[in-house]
Amino acid sequence: MSHVKHIHKGSLERFLDLLLIALVVLMTLKGGTSGACAACKYQRRRCAADCPLAPYFPAEQPKLFQNVHRLFGVRSIVKILERLDETQRPEAMKSIIFQSYVRDRSPVHGCLGVTQQLQYMIWLAEEELKAVNAQLQLYRSQNDGQNQQNHNQMMINELGVGVDNKQQQDDVTSQLDLGMGLNVNNNQSNVVAPFFSPLPVSETQQPQMSYTYSCSEVNNNGYSPPAYNTDSGKEIMTNNNNVWGVHNRFLYNDNNGGGFNNQNESCHEMKSNNGVMGIQSQLVNLQMASNHQQQEDEDDPHEYDEIHQFLEIIDDRQSFADSKEAYASSSGETLKEQIDEIGENELRSAATCFSLTSVN
Amino acid sequence: MSNYTNSPCAACKFLRRKCTSDCVFAPYFPPEEPTKFANVHRIFGASNVSKILQEVAPHQREDAVNSLAYEAEARLKDPVYGCVGAISVLQRQVLRLQRELEETNADLMRYASCLGGETTSAYGGRRG
Repeated sequence: MSHVKHIHKGSLERFLDLLLIALVVLMTLKGGTSGACAACKYQRRRCAADCPLAPYFPAEQPKLFQNVHRLFGVRSIVKILERLDETQRPEAMKSIIFQSYVRDRSPVHGCLGVTQQLQYMIWLAEEELKAVNAQLQLYRSQNDGQNQQNHNQMMINELGVGVDNKQQQDDVTSQLDLGMGLNVNNNQSNVVAPFFSPLPVSETQQPQMSYTYSCSEVNNNGYSPPAYNTDSGKEIMTNNNNVWGVHNRFLYNDNNGGGFNNQNESCHEMKSNNGVMGIQSQLVNLQMASNHQQQEDEDDPHEYDEIHQFLEIIDDRQSFADSKEAYASSSGETLKEQIDEIGENELRSAATCFSLTSVN
Repeated sequence: MSNYTNSPCAACKFLRRKCTSDCVFAPYFPPEEPTKFANVHRIFGASNVSKILQEVAPHQREDAVNSLAYEAEARLKDPVYGCVGAISVLQRQVLRLQRELEETNADLMRYASCLGGETTSAYGGRRG
């Protein structure tokens, strides 16, 4: 019996010793009273109470620090933080974490790829807006014209005067059916230009190369992507809003991706800054077009359809650009003469801009 | 690319070391562009850049270097937000344009339906 008691007492002591050792080890690893941050854990060092990186790298998300460490390195981060005020540090770290995250997702292009994608989306939206505004203008003018006609008709009916406006009505209807956009400006030289006509480089992009940029959805690495938001009202780059979460194919301007001056600089200023990136960016996209692994051929028809749709609108516009003017002014000039005046030069220049497609 | 047999690349010049024939930086940091490497080294560090280049396929390295140079320059000009500031501005612009497009499309639909009704009635009145 006493032998059994002795054994039990010995094992209990050993168990307690082990427990004590485990506690000591645990406390050493945790660095005292608080847990080590992801940065110190990664570097396998004690996380001091005044660790500068601890507030930005929680232990639960080690991947965030890994991304930052891979791109910037600890020394660089600490240098950046030391140069900034206390108030600016959280924002700086957020942007650094975001930039590193993007670089992890896209090791070749990083944030430059996102910037270019956004610029393309802006270009697309602007062109679409122009087309819709032109169409709206047409409808408004037609609406005004019809109101005037209705008014005239009423007057005619009341006064009993006959006027033949059948031809005028047909013109209006044919224009509407074709869905074209007319420039209501009576200045004949200021016809509606094709929206892919060469505009000043500083204003917009000239599509030259075909490029597919697609990225798998974020948040598949087992960690939540950083949401970038600042008190100054900048947009949140959330999972749903990530531009790289979709398949995109876009056309790229060789003057795009220019040097960046400051966060408040407008998009146009960015595009007009032809630094080192101006020519290099063109080379970047040449390579991207030919070598990107996720380029999908089935997207080709879609892009072609998109361009073709615009081309159809342009052809219609140019053919009937001044027919409204002829109707409104009753100058006696025939429609054919006006089409000839608009000229083949506009069509040719429009076609050459889109070197990917041919305009027959 | 410059002739590296004659002069060291910008990276080796900056790091004050001999530019060998297998220098990983030489093809992408020509001696005519010293600031490019200086910026990249200042923000990311030469060893990180070297590691990134090693991880990327050879035909994509120039793109990677260009994007790193862009990000480094942006970070130097704006230490707080770097190139992310530009992304934020652009994204706001995209949202604004999308909103404007939605409103304009809605106007268009209104006019189209309105005009369609008036055209019909005008024709009916005229023919009748």
